[in-house]
Amino acid sequence: MIIAERKPMNEILDMISGINRLLVLGCRGCVAVCSAGGDKEVDIIASALRLGRKKAGQQIEIDTDTLVRQCDPEYLEPLKERGKQFDAVLSTACGVGVNFIADRCPGVRVLPALNTTFYGANLSSGEWIELCAGCGSCVLHLTGGLCPVARCAKRLSNGPCGGSVGGRCEIDPNVPCVWHRIHDRLMEQKQDKLLKDITPIRDWTTAGHGGPRRRIREDLLP
Amino acid sequence: MSDVILGFCCNYTSSVDVDTLKKAGLVPEGLRIKRLPCTGKLEINTLLDAFEQGAEAVFVAGCQIDKCHNLSGSQRAAKRVGYAKKILDELGIDPARLEMFFASRGETEPIVEAARHMSSVLSDAESIHR
Repeated sequence: MIIAERKPMNEILDMISGINRLLVLGCRGCVAVCSAGGDKEVDIIASALRLGRKKAGQQIEIDTDTLVRQCDPEYLEPLKERGKQFDAVLSTACGVGVNFIADRCPGVRVLPALNTTFYGANLSSGEWIELCAGCGSCVLHLTGGLCPVARCAKRLSNGPCGGSVGGRCEIDPNVPCVWHRIHDRLMEQKQDKLLKDITPIRDWTTAGHGGPRRRIREDLLP
Repeated sequence: MSDVILGFCCNYTSSVDVDTLKKAGLVPEGLRIKRLPCTGKLEINTLLDAFEQGAEAVFVAGCQIDKCHNLSGSQRAAKRVGYAKKILDELGIDPARLEMFFASRGETEPIVEAARHMSSVLSDAESIHR
C-alpha cells in the first residue's frame, strides 16, 4: 500500500493561513490503513487545527468528511460542487488523491495534509517498511522475491556492492544488505545459478523517467 | 477564576468526589473530572478538544500500568497522550500541559497529586485562550 505521514501541524497551519472555511477530507484507502489519513486522523487534524487557530486568536470553521477513496472519480463527483462551499479542501489522502481532486474539481482549492512517502508493508502496529519502488519492471523472479530497486540504497542490479559488512548495508547498518539476503535466499532455494547471470543496464523509462506513466486496458474501457 | 484543569479518570482508579476535595482545599478550584469506563477508550482528538473547549491543562489518570482492569487500557492511553503531546508541541503549546498518571485502584491521593502538578505547570504560564 501507499504509506504517508502527516505534515507537521505548524506547516499545515501556515498552509491554511487566511482560510476561514475548511473541509478536512479523509480517504479510507491506503492512508486509513497506515493511520495517516482515515476517519480517526481526520478528526485529530481537525481538532488540532481548531486549537491552533484558537491559540492564534483566529476563528475557523472546519467541516470533516471521509471518502471511500480519493483516487476514483465516482467518489469525487459530489466534491465538485460541495468543495466550492469552502475556502479550501485539506486532503488527507496520498498525493494521488490531492492531484486527482485538483484535476477533477475545478474551482476547488485543494491542499495536502500528508507527505506521501513510499510503497510499503506493515511490519507491526505503527511500523512500516518500504518494499517496492514501483519501477514498472519487476525483477523479483530473479532475486528470490526481494527487490534490489527499493531495498538497496544504491539500486544495484548486480550486487552486492563492496561496502556491505556482516550482511548490513554500509549506508545504514540497521538495514540488512538486500543483496546479501538475495544471495542467501537463492542459495537456499538452489537457484544460485541466477546469481551468475549479469543483469543488463536497466531501462528506467518504466520507472517514470520517461514522464508520467499511464496504463490502459482496452477490455475495461467504457 | 482559576484555570480549568480537566482530568480524565478511569472508572476503576477514581472514585474521587471532586467537590469534597475542593471544599477541603486539596485540589485547585478549576479542577473538573470526567470519568471514563477505561482510559484506553480515550481518543487523541478528545484530548485536543478539551484544550480547544477551554481547558488550560489536561491530565489522564489510568490504572497502574501492570494492573489495568482492561489489561492494556492505560498503556494505550499513555501512548495516545504521548502523541497528543507531540501535536501540542507542533502547535507551540507547552506539552507539559498534558500528562498521563497511573493510579492505584480506589486511591484519591494520586488524583490530588496529579491535579496539583498540573496546577503548578500553569503557575507561570500564559493562557492559551485569547
